Amino acid sequence: MAGSEEVLEGFLCPICVTDFKAPVQLTKHFEDFHNDDPEILKSLKDLFGKAKKKILKQDEMSCSFANSVPSTTRLQRSPESNWEPQEIGVMRSHTKYFKEIRNMRLERYSTETNKLLIRLDKLLNNLPTDPVDRKVHERAIVPWIDDKDVKLCPICAKSFHVARRKHHCRLCGAVMCHNCTIFLSLQDAKKMTSPVSVQDDSAVSPTSERPISERIVRAGIGLTKLARSPSSGSLNSVLSLVNDSTGSEQHFRICTHCANLLDAREKQKAKHFDKPIVCQFYEKMRAYMKEASQHVKMYNKMWESLNEGESTYNLEDAQALRIKIAKLGENIDLISKRISVLGTRCVENPPQDQELRLHHMVRVSAMIFLKEELLSVQALPSEQRYAELQKERQRRIEARIAYERQLEEEQRERSKEQRRKETWNLEIRPTVKENQPNVVLDQSQGWGPSSVAPIMPSSMDPIIEQMSNLRAYIKQARADCRYDEVATLESNLKELQSVYFTMKQSNNSDG
Amino acid sequence: MNLITALKFYITRMTEESGPGMKVLLMDKQTTSIVSLLYSQSEIFLKEVYLFERIDANVRNEGLKHLKCIVFIRPTKENIECLCNELRYPKYGTYYIYFSNIIAKADIKLLAESDEQEVVREVHEYYADYLAISPHLFSLGINTCSQGLLWNPVHLHRTVSGLISVLLSIKKCPYIRYQNSSEMAKRLAEKIREVLSKESNSFEFKQDSPPILLIVDRRDDPVTPLLNQWTYQAMVHELLTINNNRVNLSHVKGISKELREVVLSAEHDEFYANNLYLNFGEIGQTIKELMDEFQKKAKKHQKVESIADMKNFVETYPLFKKLSGTVSKHVTVVGELSSLVEKHHLLQVSELEQELSCQSDHSMQLQKIKELINNQQIREIDVVRLVMLYALHYEKYANNDINGLLNLLKNRGVSDKYVKLVYNILEYSGINARQNNLFDREAVAKITKKLFKGLSGVDNIYTQHTPLLNETLEDLIKGKLSLQTFPYLGSTMMSKKPQDIIVFMIGGTTYEESLTVHNLNKQNPGIKIILGGTTIHNSASFLEEIQHATSGILTKYKNNNN
Ligand SMILES: [Zn+2]
Ligand SMILES: [Zn+2]
Ligand SMILES: [Zn+2]
Repeated sequence: MAGSEEVLEGFLCPICVTDFKAPVQLTKHFEDFHNDDPEILKSLKDLFGKAKKKILKQDEMSCSFANSVPSTTRLQRSPESNWEPQEIGVMRSHTKYFKEIRNMRLERYSTETNKLLIRLDKLLNNLPTDPVDRKVHERAIVPWIDDKDVKLCPICAKSFHVARRKHHCRLCGAVMCHNCTIFLSLQDAKKMTSPVSVQDDSAVSPTSERPISERIVRAGIGLTKLARSPSSGSLNSVLSLVNDSTGSEQHFRICTHCANLLDAREKQKAKHFDKPIVCQFYEKMRAYMKEASQHVKMYNKMWESLNEGESTYNLEDAQALRIKIAKLGENIDLISKRISVLGTRCVENPPQDQELRLHHMVRVSAMIFLKEELLSVQALPSEQRYAELQKERQRRIEARIAYERQLEEEQRERSKEQRRKETWNLEIRPTVKENQPNVVLDQSQGWGPSSVAPIMPSSMDPIIEQMSNLRAYIKQARADCRYDEVATLESNLKELQSVYFTMKQSNNSDG
Repeated sequence: MNLITALKFYITRMTEESGPGMKVLLMDKQTTSIVSLLYSQSEIFLKEVYLFERIDANVRNEGLKHLKCIVFIRPTKENIECLCNELRYPKYGTYYIYFSNIIAKADIKLLAESDEQEVVREVHEYYADYLAISPHLFSLGINTCSQGLLWNPVHLHRTVSGLISVLLSIKKCPYIRYQNSSEMAKRLAEKIREVLSKESNSFEFKQDSPPILLIVDRRDDPVTPLLNQWTYQAMVHELLTINNNRVNLSHVKGISKELREVVLSAEHDEFYANNLYLNFGEIGQTIKELMDEFQKKAKKHQKVESIADMKNFVETYPLFKKLSGTVSKHVTVVGELSSLVEKHHLLQVSELEQELSCQSDHSMQLQKIKELINNQQIREIDVVRLVMLYALHYEKYANNDINGLLNLLKNRGVSDKYVKLVYNILEYSGINARQNNLFDREAVAKITKKLFKGLSGVDNIYTQHTPLLNETLEDLIKGKLSLQTFPYLGSTMMSKKPQDIIVFMIGGTTYEESLTVHNLNKQNPGIKIILGGTTIHNSASFLEEIQHATSGILTKYKNNNN
């Protein structure tokens, strides 16, 4: 299959230009060899940057306007959009009725086919090698029609004579001429009757060693090539000649009617395994898209939080995630490009128009995805800028607190005045405390896990143990890109650390 | 009751039921239009649909067995036949079949017997059998629904299916009221009731307040589709024709390749969504503001004071074109509209149209019409429309000069076809067709007043006219709609004022009426009105409808007047 070779070659790693057979392997290779190399990641990022420009076809200047210009503010919401939510309309299913009718009709065929398969199985069981014994064996399982009554071939209606001899179908026992029978090889017969069938499980597993296309062709054999109507089948006569010369011991002679029934069943079976390579590419691409979308969602959340100067998430985490997204984008670009040229260089069996259109559309959809989902990912603030943002936020918070304090102070003064007249014992209002945890949390942001860890003495202190557990969880969550969990766990860790710290301090001052 | 939402629910369900994997959508001509109105290409890609094929296409190719095929077709005889063939020799791996309307059991049986290879997974009825143009507007895409002023049976059947599908998709079982003067309205109402009772199982809904299905006839208001329009959507349809949300601009001189056909979809075009109900002048202002904003950012200074300036602007700043998304497309459309208005002196024409439809000053109006007929710069079709409006207005006026105007038209060399249209519209919608005046002379005056009501204090002389539908619906909302002119079908009546209203216009509705309904929805929170028509007319398509409708009947007007 020249075509399939074309398909398989050239799934190149963009870094080391090694050839891979499938995107799965390429990704695995990526993860194994290029994952932690910052240089490689950078080059990927650059590549992605180029793709971005190419896809958007935009010049540098545009970025600064992109957000502002097209915002034609919505003048009015259409009244219909305020209508209460609705549910899906009426649906009526005919599936049950349809399948009842279909099954009734197909049952007729399937009982007949099953009968043939049972007979085939019996014929194969203990099949004698000696021709005479074999004929006895065959006739014991399928009684043959008395050929004296048959004057014409029931299929082609030609009369029998010396040159057109009578033959019995080994499956139904009917009589017909040589041209109206075909040979079913024992090998094929065995495949048909074996419960596991032709296809091994690897046919659907993309990790298998053998080229997929080859397996599909194998799965498609059976009787498909043999079953041609005798009038049109030059193939048939060729096969018959071949068969005759090799002798009858390798075959069963069967009539075309029986052959068609068996063939229909084989086709039905083969259908489930008919999964060309484009499906595997496509599934991988969709998986990348799904992963990328999830990451983008997470990233946008982190981006917003970081730009607020919050310290819920780490800047480095966001950077790592951004690179991961870029990598996924690169992969999506790559796979979809592969899909768009699948088989186009194949001369023998070029893809038909519809197939080309399909591949092209898949590629277009990937481009749209990259453009709309991934390229909207905004750049992170630099470390310097982030520090400024944090400071700004700190200032905002402090200003707010100061303002609230002032308000409170004023209020307290006022109420003092008032209460002084009414009652003498006045407690400080509790509202001050409500604000406190917020402040504490923000003051603790200088506490990084790495800087704190060495201070801890390696004892079996339960707090320390819990902290190290937490660190392990954080590492795990980070590896899985579950940054919300990272944030929660980290804040837990910080709490523990501050508890531990105050404990230590009080211990120190005590001792 | 949002029609676009209702249809999107169905299509989404279709694409989800087949699970993940590459899909092909197999449709017929009409369902193709239905789907293409709802989704852009990138939206449909998100649903993993990559190919669109027509069931009636005769190409036999090898097929792609690894594709899932979603079949979405109308349950017509031809489609069933095509689908049976498709199932006998399936091109795709599995089939999920959705009919856009009620299908006969016998047809399901035919299909089941064709599915020898067991490729079919699901068979359903999903009632997405109408063109949803706006959340409150639908069309059935029937350009000329009547012949000899009676239903064409094929179109009646399609109209019944369409309305049944609307009701099922929004889960409403209505009370039916119809225009008493219209045979076609009555017949349609009865046909719908037939289906409602036959399919009563499907129409069992929990309804707080049952909706009203109001069936009206275009013949009661022939004026609205004859007028020039000045709100964006209506104007584009009148001057450039909107077909399936698409506008053909290929005739425009020097048009760029990507603008030969533009899509105007409120669902996917924010600028259009914000501006489709605004009038022409306001849109120019919006565009100007966007350009000024851009200039401020880019520190550029170019004056934007006319539509020509705008076109220049788009050419000078390709960046604006890229960033403003759809705005530059609208600059082109607005530019084309404005050049047509100028070229054909449509402001002048429109002013007289509005006077003819809203005021009664016979001699002055007659004089003005004569002047415009003699003005060679005014298009033939425009003067003919003016004469039509005059004839409708002054048909029973003792001193009317319809014949004199017709002679003037003939002298100008206006084609016979157009001259005949004046008779046609009187036949279609003359005063006798508009209402029943056997017993009451006063009713005539009242109805005439309704149709040609004089409005005072309107600041824009080009938008004085309000469609008759506005008053009909206002009356209905207030519970004051006459039971004589709009009786209930059957003996049951609604005691409460209606909250949900589905109004359907036989003979086609217009975008001006769509705007009316939009405004009523806005002014009456709690009331939901949906408008539908056999089609959405502009004046050109309406004239065709009239011609078709009046074909094959005795033209008594011609005899009387000649
Ligand atoms: Zn490599
Ligand atoms: Zn024969
Ligand atoms: Zn046989």
